[in-house]
Amino acid sequence: MELNADVKESDHKATRVQGGLNFRLNAKTSEKIAFAFLGLSVLIVVGFVLVILAYIVYNGYNAINIGFLTEMPRLMMTQGGIYPAIVGTLYLIIGSMTVALPVGVMVAIYLNEYAGETRTTWLIEMAINNLAGTPSVVFGLFGLALFVKYFGFGPSLLSSSLTLSLLILPVIIRATEEALLTVPKEYRESSLALGVSKWQTIRHVVLPAAIPGIVTGSVLSIGRVAGETAPILFTGVAYFLPRLPDSVYSQFMALPYHLFVLATAGTNIAKTRSIQYGTALVLLIIVLGLNLVAVLIRRHYRKKLKV
Amino acid sequence: MLSRNYKEKTIEWTLFSVSVLTVVVLFLICLFLFRDGLLVFRDTSLMDFLTGKFWYPTSVNRQFGLLPLFFGSLIVTAGAIIFAVPLGIAAAIYISEIADPRIADFLKPFIEILAGIPSVVFGFFGLVVLVPIIQNNFNLPTGQTALTGSIMLGIMALPTIITISEDAISSVPSTLEQGSLALGATKWQTIYKVIVPAALSGISAAVMLGIGRAIGETMTLMMVTGNTAVIPSFPGGFLASVRTMTATIALEMGEVPQGSTHFHALFAVGSVLFIITFLINLIADSIKKRYQFKVD
Amino acid sequence: MTEGIQNVSKPQIKVENLNLWYGEKQALKNVSMNIPKNSITALIGPSGCGKSTFIRCLNRMNDLINNCKIEGKVTIESDNIYGPDVDVVDLRKSVGMVFQKPNPFPMSIYDNVAYGPRIHGANRKDLDGIVEQALHSAAIWDEVSDRLKSPALSLSGGQQQRLCIARTLAVKPKIILFDEPTSALDPISTLRIEDLTMNLKKDYTIVIVTHNMQQAARISDYTGFFLMGELIEFGQTKQIFQNPREKSTEDYITGRFG
Repeated sequence: MELNADVKESDHKATRVQGGLNFRLNAKTSEKIAFAFLGLSVLIVVGFVLVILAYIVYNGYNAINIGFLTEMPRLMMTQGGIYPAIVGTLYLIIGSMTVALPVGVMVAIYLNEYAGETRTTWLIEMAINNLAGTPSVVFGLFGLALFVKYFGFGPSLLSSSLTLSLLILPVIIRATEEALLTVPKEYRESSLALGVSKWQTIRHVVLPAAIPGIVTGSVLSIGRVAGETAPILFTGVAYFLPRLPDSVYSQFMALPYHLFVLATAGTNIAKTRSIQYGTALVLLIIVLGLNLVAVLIRRHYRKKLKV
Repeated sequence: MLSRNYKEKTIEWTLFSVSVLTVVVLFLICLFLFRDGLLVFRDTSLMDFLTGKFWYPTSVNRQFGLLPLFFGSLIVTAGAIIFAVPLGIAAAIYISEIADPRIADFLKPFIEILAGIPSVVFGFFGLVVLVPIIQNNFNLPTGQTALTGSIMLGIMALPTIITISEDAISSVPSTLEQGSLALGATKWQTIYKVIVPAALSGISAAVMLGIGRAIGETMTLMMVTGNTAVIPSFPGGFLASVRTMTATIALEMGEVPQGSTHFHALFAVGSVLFIITFLINLIADSIKKRYQFKVD
Repeated sequence: MTEGIQNVSKPQIKVENLNLWYGEKQALKNVSMNIPKNSITALIGPSGCGKSTFIRCLNRMNDLINNCKIEGKVTIESDNIYGPDVDVVDLRKSVGMVFQKPNPFPMSIYDNVAYGPRIHGANRKDLDGIVEQALHSAAIWDEVSDRLKSPALSLSGGQQQRLCIARTLAVKPKIILFDEPTSALDPISTLRIEDLTMNLKKDYTIVIVTHNMQQAARISDYTGFFLMGELIEFGQTKQIFQNPREKSTEDYITGRFG
């Protein structure tokens, strides 16, 4: 495509410009065309983001009010609020983070501070990479087979939380590893030189310095948990429940699944549009709000490092 | 002294054991997927499963042929990659090489937002906005088509492709850029003749991971592709409904009796999906490794 | 300050009152210098003295640095290279540069040398000749003629640097800037490159930044001594080394300097 434009330009110019100069204009012109094309690509990408956000916000903000956030759904979910879905999502976040955060941080500490270049290390790295790339619906199947069936937890908050914790484990490990990497070697060395043991050094010097990075990673994975649907599909999420979950073995409602059901299989899809937009907006606000928090933490931390 | 050493050793050993847990999890995923998946072959032969042209899980004469689902995933992913790869790489080049650093800092959060939007929201947006557009523009009975899925999926794969390509491009040593500019090359000539080729393996890894992301996507596709399990024709299939492997699992798993052949067939589909993404990850990983070597 | 050899007849490069800032920090202070055609000019001085910054003003490589501000005038063959209608790309075509660390592109030996001519629109059938000649001139032809298609990165450091010189020559510049070209090389490779620069003098004007005073003394016709962003002394190499006018030049040359 660019080549053609190139040729055209040069033909055009050649009538006015003498031979030698012709070529330079050519390279300059093709540069301009290329840069315009690249700039346009970025605009398209940014455009996608803006259009999606604007559309959901524009259609959703009318639906949101205190009642929408605090009431149970009524009349076969065609009216009322999304309170149980919000609570369910909150429980999922708490449940999965309780497992994934400590495990993830421990794995990252091991990999960054202890592991040598052994086969086992390679194997662990490979496992993490592959967990990160495994489709979320496969995690759902695995959760069904292991937690729901094999361990007998049934479709429940527990099964779903555990499944989601596996999904976000790689995110937390990577974020923590990155944070640990930015802690200067001098900190470790000067602490060790004072006769402080390795673990004490990690606990009192390295980890505190890495906290902001760990928090960033955690916040991002909370966003992930709030938005994922496929892994909870067969492990405990419910279409509609009249009560809030009262134990880890209860089923639960969740925001993304609520949106999915209302938009594709609800009793009256057209009638619940406004609830759908509202739910989508609440979900977006939670997920992107968490992303924003992560960005702010990172920025704050970076500034501090510079000073 | 001794007790402190003992404590240190205990801690290291604990951390190590927890780390090995990740390998165990991966192993368990294989074990449980394959165990339940392989049971389908009590009723269906491996050949029938892999080369069967029909997915009729509930009819009297039930058939569990993978091909319609496999090609469904393939056509949607291919469509997504065809437009997301050039767009993503172009955006990555612009952000890392052309944009003023301040503008680049302004642009990057948009990519992060795109990465953060839940897939069900993408699906919802596709359903209420893109589906009617496609239906009206092409004058179709339904707008829930492979093309709709490809477009949404392409948008969703963009952040992966952009972020990883950008990393690869920015890690090309600036001495190469200077060398080229000093020879009187324009910035653009330098970009496409030196920088992009030097970053090519990193960019390929980005594309691989983008494909992995696309093949594994579930909710969005379930909401916008219509879920008809027939082998799509080409290229007309883009304007017809398709059903991907992921959507099949998500749609049907809720309704099958546990332990039935259908149940195991879905695990078999999940196993195939897992193997595909596993291979894609391995390839991406090895490409990236090679590339890091080169930069050193 | 620089009244040494300002009587050079028709300088090819003429620098007048050049000032340069990186943000707030002034890196070059009022530098003026005349460089004659077909000569080798060596720029010496302690690290951070501005000699590399200066040489990068001659092909405007400093344009790549974000907060870099330049004042003053640099004239090359009667064109002010900081003039409003100057095309930087054209400038760099006629003012080539060889860098401190060899930086061959990750492609074949042949493609490295052909890179410049190709982007400047050389005829495909002329390429082989151009490449061979450039490799000859850079005294590396004999070592690579039988493996032009192998990757440039498979060469040794010294060979890579001569390849980079060949790459520069293939564009047919008038002036070649060397930014400490031998600092990353072993002594034998260094000598080869020095011999090479002296041969190239016939056809090109050469400006070389070096931290190696013996090198400056061995190969250059003129020498400039920089200190803290200022050109302290500029003159014929013989004079600078045997009879420096400034105390600080003498201190540096005799090694009494930090």
